[in-house]
Amino acid sequence: MIPSIGHAAVLIGLGLTVYAAVAYVLAARDGDPRLNVSARRAVIGSFVAAAIGCAAMIVSLLTHDFSVRYVAENNATTTPPFIGVISLWAALEGSILFWALLATGWASLLLHRYRDRYRPLMPWVGATLATVNAFFFAVMTWPGNPFALTAPMAAEGNGPNALLQNHPFMALHPPLLYLGYTGLAVPFAFGIAALVTRRLDEEWLRVVRRWTLIPWTFLTLGIVAGAWWSYEVLGWGGYWAWDPVENAALLPWLTATAFIHSAMVAERRGGLRIWTSAMVIATFVLTLVGTFLTRSGVVASVHSFTQSAIGPWFLAAILLALGGSLTLLVWRLPDLAGGDRPSGTVSRESAFLLNNVLFLGLTFAVLFGTLLPLLVAATSGDTISVGAPWFNTVTVPIFIALLFLMGIGPALPWGTASWSTARERFTVPLGLGVAVTASALAIGLREPTSLGTLGLATVVGSIMVEEIVRGARARARSRNEGPATATWRLATRNRRRYGGYAVHLSVLVMAVAVAVSSGLATDRTVTLAPGETATIGGYEITHDRLVVEPLSSDARVIETRAEVTYAGPQSGSLGTALRDYPNSQAAIATPAVRTSLAEDLYVTLLASDQATGTVTLHLFVNPLVVWIWIGGAMVGIGAGFAIWPERRGRRVTVERPQRAPAAVTIEGA
Amino acid sequence: MTVSAPSEPMLAPRRRQWGILAVVAVVLAVIGYLAFSSVGNALVYYLTPTELLERGDAAVGETVRLGGLVEDGSVSGPATDLTFVVTDGKNGIEVHSTVAPTRSFREGSGAVVEGTLGADGVFDATQVIVKHDENYEVPASGDLPSDQVIEPGDES
Repeated sequence: MIPSIGHAAVLIGLGLTVYAAVAYVLAARDGDPRLNVSARRAVIGSFVAAAIGCAAMIVSLLTHDFSVRYVAENNATTTPPFIGVISLWAALEGSILFWALLATGWASLLLHRYRDRYRPLMPWVGATLATVNAFFFAVMTWPGNPFALTAPMAAEGNGPNALLQNHPFMALHPPLLYLGYTGLAVPFAFGIAALVTRRLDEEWLRVVRRWTLIPWTFLTLGIVAGAWWSYEVLGWGGYWAWDPVENAALLPWLTATAFIHSAMVAERRGGLRIWTSAMVIATFVLTLVGTFLTRSGVVASVHSFTQSAIGPWFLAAILLALGGSLTLLVWRLPDLAGGDRPSGTVSRESAFLLNNVLFLGLTFAVLFGTLLPLLVAATSGDTISVGAPWFNTVTVPIFIALLFLMGIGPALPWGTASWSTARERFTVPLGLGVAVTASALAIGLREPTSLGTLGLATVVGSIMVEEIVRGARARARSRNEGPATATWRLATRNRRRYGGYAVHLSVLVMAVAVAVSSGLATDRTVTLAPGETATIGGYEITHDRLVVEPLSSDARVIETRAEVTYAGPQSGSLGTALRDYPNSQAAIATPAVRTSLAEDLYVTLLASDQATGTVTLHLFVNPLVVWIWIGGAMVGIGAGFAIWPERRGRRVTVERPQRAPAAVTIEGA
Repeated sequence: MTVSAPSEPMLAPRRRQWGILAVVAVVLAVIGYLAFSSVGNALVYYLTPTELLERGDAAVGETVRLGGLVEDGSVSGPATDLTFVVTDGKNGIEVHSTVAPTRSFREGSGAVVEGTLGADGVFDATQVIVKHDENYEVPASGDLPSDQVIEPGDES
């Protein structure tokens, strides 16, 4: 009964999205407002349908309805309710259902919110979003039916993925990532609408910058949460392995970041318009490519997901989206060309252009490395893999160049910068950077990447701080305010600029943490009998005893745990374990991480001998890792600050009337 | 009449555009060089024991990934000085590893080891990878779940 309701909801969702797409196109051509309204209702209806579908799946999971194949594969009678609920996104079919919920949610929110604005654009925005959503409903109707039934109903299900059960982060990381992925369809839809209607002025860019920043923030948080999950759960002591699945999330993030920057040039100076449109298209296509890569099984990944028949569907969608939008773009090239005001070689425009070239280069490099195994397999039949060293060789120099640009770009003026202003602004930071690098060298830091990043971060950070201080000081002087008040008022009246500064500073924090943690981490593997002690990086690790017992929360899971005491910069005791889940062939590591602001002590159990109580432990001391997570959260806060609507201000008075009529209508109704 | 718009000289923008285009070209060339010059060393071939043995002497010293099943009864030694045999059913290769597998791996399970084949025919592993697989299937009575079988060419 419940699965039938879910399946019916999917079919209704497909019908509604197809109708909405057609109705929006007709509305755009005839301008019939009633068609517009009914199409919008259909989109909201598709959201309700997706919500009913998700609810039906959750109920099926919670009631352990093993007649549904998805439930039988991802649930067992002993599965706790919380794990049951998050199993909605544990595997392919459920993920697409959840995806459809978020995608239709974004579409409904946007189309409802802007129902009286951007009139010429919105029908095409709606048509594009409805078409994209129809695709996902179609996938659930044909190749990836989440409510497919199993013929002989199993008495017991397979249980959820052991990795999913093992850490609560699985409740957080996929939804954040999906919110980002699905939300990036919105700027694409606006881009298509602007191209179709030839309304290629600054208007669509203004809307889209905020609507890119929102999914971008979710995507960023999702990627950081994924890295954190990898670090806390997988037990290899690292957080980024250049795995195809990780790259799939990174690719649209890179082009979305490029877009956020190039849109500023397009909006403020009229330049880079073709480029900016291309970035929007690329970002959306890369979200499809990412899903295709990770979900079709074409690329071998450490966390290989379920392979299924959706591959050809996604390939067709990618080719259609790419071919269609590029054709449209080429067709509109005459409308996009020109319009930019002159600028010098050393100017903020140039910094933005270079920033975009670097981001695009990074995108191509990561895409190339990710797809190379596919290309080689297709041409020579050999199976190869491209290792992390290649990715590091290629991407680290680009990341460093981007870091450098991040410092000087915002400090350069629009138009043309004179060398004397540049010199004046950058001399002190450069001196500071040299001083910090020299003192780090004197203290004994020898690792080149850490040293270089530290020096560069000092230069970039001090340029930013100087920018903020100079602005605040000018305001404090002219308005007679205290420094703190002046800074806050300046920031809240220029949210985009100061939110951007906050994001940049957070990225600096993350960059230093990544460079230092990867350059200065130490690790060693030790085999200890009970009572024996090993040392690593100022810590003394003593193996007390080996415990093998069922987990208190789930007796079917056997935990093999080494109980260890440690003394040093941090002291205490910890248990690091391997857990044997009944449905997982390999034991799941449960590393113990002891975090301080300076460093993490990270202990993984590799092997144990029950007869003697001897354990083999992998010990890591990873400096500054916690600052990657702190920096990630700070990026979210900074971006949130930039997204938050400005209350008053010089520039905002222009945007303000857009909201006022809506408020008046509500009051009048 | 004497006051003109504060525009810049007509020729200037064009000349300056070339400057930035040159920078862009240099940046792209550097990225391209970085990508292609190091790709030869970065590729790691994935081979089954049979494929590795077919390469003969050419295979000695080359970093590859060797994939197959851990042969029953072949595992010996402590985790940091481990010896086992990886087999594809036709041929087996003895593997020696001083790095413990990241998860407890078992006899009969699938494993991928990265390393080099020595002249003595023993594969020296620098990395032992065990697949963490999302692909669970309802086990039919009596037979192995499909994720326990690594087919030749099926990457980790």
